[in-house]
Amino acid sequence: MAADIISSIFGDMTPLAAMIFLLIGALIMPAVQMFGKKHTVTWCVALLMVILSFVTDVILLTNDVEATYLGVKLNTYTTLMSMLFLIVLFLVVLVSNVSTETTKNHAGAYYALLFGATLGMLFVASSSSLLTIFVGVELTSISSYALVALKRKDGRASEAAVKYAIIGGMSTALTLYGISMIYGIAGSLEINDLANYVTFNDFTWMFGVGLICMIAGYGFKIAAVPFHMWAPDVYEGAATPVSMFLATGSKKMGLAVFIQVFMAMFIISATAGSIFGLTVQYIFAIIAAITMTVGNVVAIAQPNIKRMLAYSSIAQAGYILIILAVMTPQAEAAGIFHMFTHVFMKGGAFLIVGGLICAGIGEKISDYKGLAKRSPFLAAAMMLFLFSLAGIPPLAGFTSKFFLFASAVGTPGAADGTWIWLAFIAILNSAISLYYYARVVKAMYIEKGETTEKIKIPTIFTVAIVVCLVFVIVLGVYPDLIFGYCEQATEFLL
Amino acid sequence: MSMILSSLILVPLIGAIIALFMGGSREAYSKYVAIGFSAITLIIATLLMLGIFGDFADLGESFVWIDTSAFIMNYALSVDGLSILMVFLTALLCLLVNVFSLDEHRENNNYFYALIMAMEVGLMGVYMAADYFLFYIMWEVTLIPMYFMISWYGGPRRHYSAIKFFIYTHVASLVMLIGIFAMGYESVAAGGVVDFSFEAIKNGIGAVAVETQSLIFALLFFGFMVKMPSVPFHTWLPDAHTEAPTEGSVLLAGVMLKMGSYGIIRICIEALPEAAAYWQWVIIAIALVSIIYGAYGCIAQTDLKKMVAFSSISHMGMVMLGIGCLSDAGITFAVFQMFAHGLITAMLFMVCGMTGHKVGTREIPLLGGLAGKMPIYATFMMIAFMASLGLPGLVGFWGEFPVIMAFYEFILDNDVIWMLLFCMLSLMLTAGYYLWAMQRTLFGPETKKIDLSKAHDVGHYEFAVLLVLAILVALFGVWPDGALQFIDDYVDLLAFTGVI
Repeated sequence: MAADIISSIFGDMTPLAAMIFLLIGALIMPAVQMFGKKHTVTWCVALLMVILSFVTDVILLTNDVEATYLGVKLNTYTTLMSMLFLIVLFLVVLVSNVSTETTKNHAGAYYALLFGATLGMLFVASSSSLLTIFVGVELTSISSYALVALKRKDGRASEAAVKYAIIGGMSTALTLYGISMIYGIAGSLEINDLANYVTFNDFTWMFGVGLICMIAGYGFKIAAVPFHMWAPDVYEGAATPVSMFLATGSKKMGLAVFIQVFMAMFIISATAGSIFGLTVQYIFAIIAAITMTVGNVVAIAQPNIKRMLAYSSIAQAGYILIILAVMTPQAEAAGIFHMFTHVFMKGGAFLIVGGLICAGIGEKISDYKGLAKRSPFLAAAMMLFLFSLAGIPPLAGFTSKFFLFASAVGTPGAADGTWIWLAFIAILNSAISLYYYARVVKAMYIEKGETTEKIKIPTIFTVAIVVCLVFVIVLGVYPDLIFGYCEQATEFLL
Repeated sequence: MSMILSSLILVPLIGAIIALFMGGSREAYSKYVAIGFSAITLIIATLLMLGIFGDFADLGESFVWIDTSAFIMNYALSVDGLSILMVFLTALLCLLVNVFSLDEHRENNNYFYALIMAMEVGLMGVYMAADYFLFYIMWEVTLIPMYFMISWYGGPRRHYSAIKFFIYTHVASLVMLIGIFAMGYESVAAGGVVDFSFEAIKNGIGAVAVETQSLIFALLFFGFMVKMPSVPFHTWLPDAHTEAPTEGSVLLAGVMLKMGSYGIIRICIEALPEAAAYWQWVIIAIALVSIIYGAYGCIAQTDLKKMVAFSSISHMGMVMLGIGCLSDAGITFAVFQMFAHGLITAMLFMVCGMTGHKVGTREIPLLGGLAGKMPIYATFMMIAFMASLGLPGLVGFWGEFPVIMAFYEFILDNDVIWMLLFCMLSLMLTAGYYLWAMQRTLFGPETKKIDLSKAHDVGHYEFAVLLVLAILVALFGVWPDGALQFIDDYVDLLAFTGVI
């Protein structure tokens, strides 16, 4: 019913429906700011556009609509991933009006950039050609550089933006170089054709080098080790809502690229056990193992909570990369599900950090001493988010990690043990990660703070935190809410 | 479908939530809330055990919880002869520690009681779960409250101990988790849907090659062994006990360690009997090392509580030895030892905790002649020590002696008569360290090294709690059948299905 209305409005362009709202939003934001003059007006319009886009997307998702328009696909996978990006955008926009870090910026430009970046993410999720994916990624990246730089007065932000732009540019160059090599040898940019190519052809060095370039280029986007150096600096320097946007949204786009490009390309040859597939699987297994280990180990030493969260999200990306080593539909579903739970738990943690910054509390872990006395709700929420990140039942992080690690052990009837070592490394990492999460909990609950004065954070922050909290608990005890869609989405990989 | 079993989880859960939100002026009443809810739980558990609700084996509950294309997880609870004793013990000890701590005044008392009730939720869940997913979740749920119990309310080195406890047991349980995955995936044919209920996996896993089974057994066994704990993964236990508050120690030693041995019997033995036979000698070896090493460790300790902690390692080794015999008598009395040790160790830790509280130190060399100053305390301490070293007529005897008999049978069957030496050594050591500790603490001239003028005898609530435990220790000592009847049913079923 609702889906029919959307189809009748957009006609052939239904696959673009959610993106159109974002595009309109991105284009009108500066004008709204100019004529409306007030930040709050701009904020309301922005929120409206996000909600419109989100509702459209959810309707398309729940009605299983399938369509294609000029190569832009619409199916469960694209709508599911779009929903993820729109949730992130919603949370970020929601708190942007009250966060002291973002209201000082030119609101029109800020929201326009956020919309532009999200538009790129949606475009990536709907594409099936290396070229369109590349375009989408670039749209997101360039908007993100500007978003980081928007916190103009802060030296750290400028440094972060420069670093981000230079490294981003380098990764773009690498990616493009890789794509051109692959095009040169395979003669196509469509993922389907490339999947056929790797299944039926022998390994060639040219293709291999192209592939490595692409893995490195997109590896920068998800901050996989050894391409992760920029992430902590950027997350630390940017305004907290923007850090959250990068850590939850932008990084998920990178992972979506990994699924759509590498997983789609090699899943057939991996299942067939050809040497090409196996090599790629091992490359990803090693990247995954190193990424999660480095992320977790370095996080232990971080005194700044935003840096700690940055390293922890590097580690989380490592967990998700397991799916590229395992290369089964079960793993893909688990990976997508983990992206969702990660949005809520990591997003929630960043929201609390952002909210506390508004209340005048610093970013150091030592600033969190005695928080349980000053704000029992925030301390409890933070504890739940961190425990969820560490994978403690019955929270969402546990359930999604359970699915992820289960997929690494094998598939029903075939616990063949090829990737069981990866599951072990992941599990050891989970244990390591507990240590630094528990450190924050300890600071909040056990250590005595200098004052016991109550903290008040903006109400909207509380609302956003509650939203995350509800999902962290609900997805933990009732994963079917989203996991069913994740499994459906795997059918549209190719 | 009846909800009796669920109510054993729900009642403490509600208690925990209410206590959690009783901050500020209502804080003083949180203990009564905790006592009330744990009393209700105990009543339900007792009625369940006495068969008032009908045969407890018929009360199982099962709902599909998570249903994906690769696996099904259920919210499934069931109780049988093995778990009913543990359920009763959990409910009993939770109520008793709540009462025991009535006189104590802590900062944030309401959190303390919320943690105890939360622990009860997890423990009940572990002992009643009939699905691996639920089992694992509940297993982890017990971990968090204990971590906070130690790190918020513990002694001076509490942070170190708490984190050590957490990391050890968490890593172990994660290894166990991999074992659970492997077991689930192996139990079905390719492309099938894994049902994580105990029943389905038990049916499916039998057809798998013994090599694979024994690999899975090793993963699971490691998880349980660290929890028990067995040498060489025992080092977290003495630290945790030394720093934990008395109430935490009672629950930790009384019921949480039993999760390990319960898991071994319920999962390793029940589902993977062939693998158990494959590893039998390893189990026996680990058990013997734990018994002897634990007992030697006891002699070396100067802290009363640490000594009792090492004795727990030794006694849980005894449980492992019974299990390792893989015989009717062995498993029966291993389970009985779990129950007996739960009662005795609760008494032991309460008495030792009181020493620190009333006298000011738990260091044995500083103590002496306390019997004259605190006669009631001394009496309870003697009862607990005597029960723990296996004096006939008290419950400990039935946990220890028949296990050694079962082991003797095993020795004869395998023609390794020299192994009996270890058992004799362990009995000797146990009697030795307890008597020596008692002599140094209670008897002899009154100590001059510390100021005893402020030392006072047990309070009313503590007396009541210790009396209840002492009565149970004596009751099951002369009437072991009270507990054995349940175990027998269970072990008969094991024998009938060809597990042992």
